[in-house]
Amino acid sequence: MSSNRQLTVSRAMAEAIALEMRTDPSVFVMGEDIGTYGGIFGATAGLLDEFGEERVRDTPISETGFIGAGVGAAMAGMRPIVELMFVDFFGVCMDSIYNLAAKNTYFSGGNCKVPMVIMTATGGGYSDAGQHSQTLHATFAHLPGMKVVAPSNAYDAKGLMAAAIRDDSPVVFMFHKGLQGLAWMASPEEAATAVPEEAYTLPFGEARVVRAGKDVTLVTLSMMVHRAMDAARALEKDGIDAEVIDLRSLVPLDRETILQSVAKTGRLVVVDEDYRSYGLTAEVIASVVEKDPGLLKAPPQRLAVPDVPIPYSRPMEQFVLPNAETIAAATRITLGKAG
Amino acid sequence: MTDVTVPEDLWDANKTPEGIVANWFYSDGAEVPEGATLAELMVEKSSFDIAAPAAGTLRIVVPKDGTVRPGSVIARLESG
Repeated sequence: MSSNRQLTVSRAMAEAIALEMRTDPSVFVMGEDIGTYGGIFGATAGLLDEFGEERVRDTPISETGFIGAGVGAAMAGMRPIVELMFVDFFGVCMDSIYNLAAKNTYFSGGNCKVPMVIMTATGGGYSDAGQHSQTLHATFAHLPGMKVVAPSNAYDAKGLMAAAIRDDSPVVFMFHKGLQGLAWMASPEEAATAVPEEAYTLPFGEARVVRAGKDVTLVTLSMMVHRAMDAARALEKDGIDAEVIDLRSLVPLDRETILQSVAKTGRLVVVDEDYRSYGLTAEVIASVVEKDPGLLKAPPQRLAVPDVPIPYSRPMEQFVLPNAETIAAATRITLGKAG
Repeated sequence: MTDVTVPEDLWDANKTPEGIVANWFYSDGAEVPEGATLAELMVEKSSFDIAAPAAGTLRIVVPKDGTVRPGSVIARLESG
């Protein structure tokens, strides 16, 4: 076994799908450019060659059609994986996602399962403007009936993808374009990791403490894990010991790990690449203060996109996205070390 | 010792003289099995995987983001 392989996230996702397809004939993939092209972010590379057009289906540009078809296939006993090329395109097909996939188990009194994976690319930072750069984490996490995951690295991506395929509920698998390890888009070095060749699953709702620390808790996920780690390394030089938590899934949310960390550090910074208002940052802070407001020694800080469309202009886009410097600055504020 | 070489006919070097190593899937010094996907090259917007011609200890010659041409030796595999 070559567990010393350093796989990119895109290859880890494709490998997870291939392993499930080999053992379960009900698993198939549908989406735009997922066949011949291998997915524009590489998540289905190689699958068409191995499994053929019956199980790896290029669709017309109609998310409404093929995501609706995915819901029907799932309810009829298949395990479809459908790719929504950019999460930003959810608008045209949201009825299939939140009114059908997410609710049909409930509406049928549990008689119908909807074992479907909706995988979708998120995130900005590469000047693709306001309709191709959003993460929209909270939009999906807000609505009941779906599990929502957003991994930060290849090992987690493979395990969460396998778990998503085997799950009997719809799972929205949100992968950040900038973590995929594509030849044409820079990605953080730590996004590619050692990945076992065999199939394995990771449980939903288990956060990972990426870096243990005693002074302050940084809670985040997806691309921002890497920005937070950069911030933590910079803060370490100033004698600040930050704990970094990668949530890995939004639904279910591992509140227990957050609470344990904040009970230790007393200070909380939440970082999200989604819009600021009504989002993940507020949910994490509320989860702490409604349990015990006395845990916090200082007001919590949140960093997110400040409720504006993601700009196309590179300097403007970089300005609205959280980064290591703004995370470090917010962390210093919680410690009374600003300026 | 086995060279890991970019095949001469992998792309038309008259049209596109150079590519880059986009990804290494093993670290320098790793033990790799024969046939393992070692690296991904990018030439303009096409990517090509390079497989290990033999088992051995990987010695990377061209690092990630380094330029390559058809015929370039990108790594060597030392046999145990």
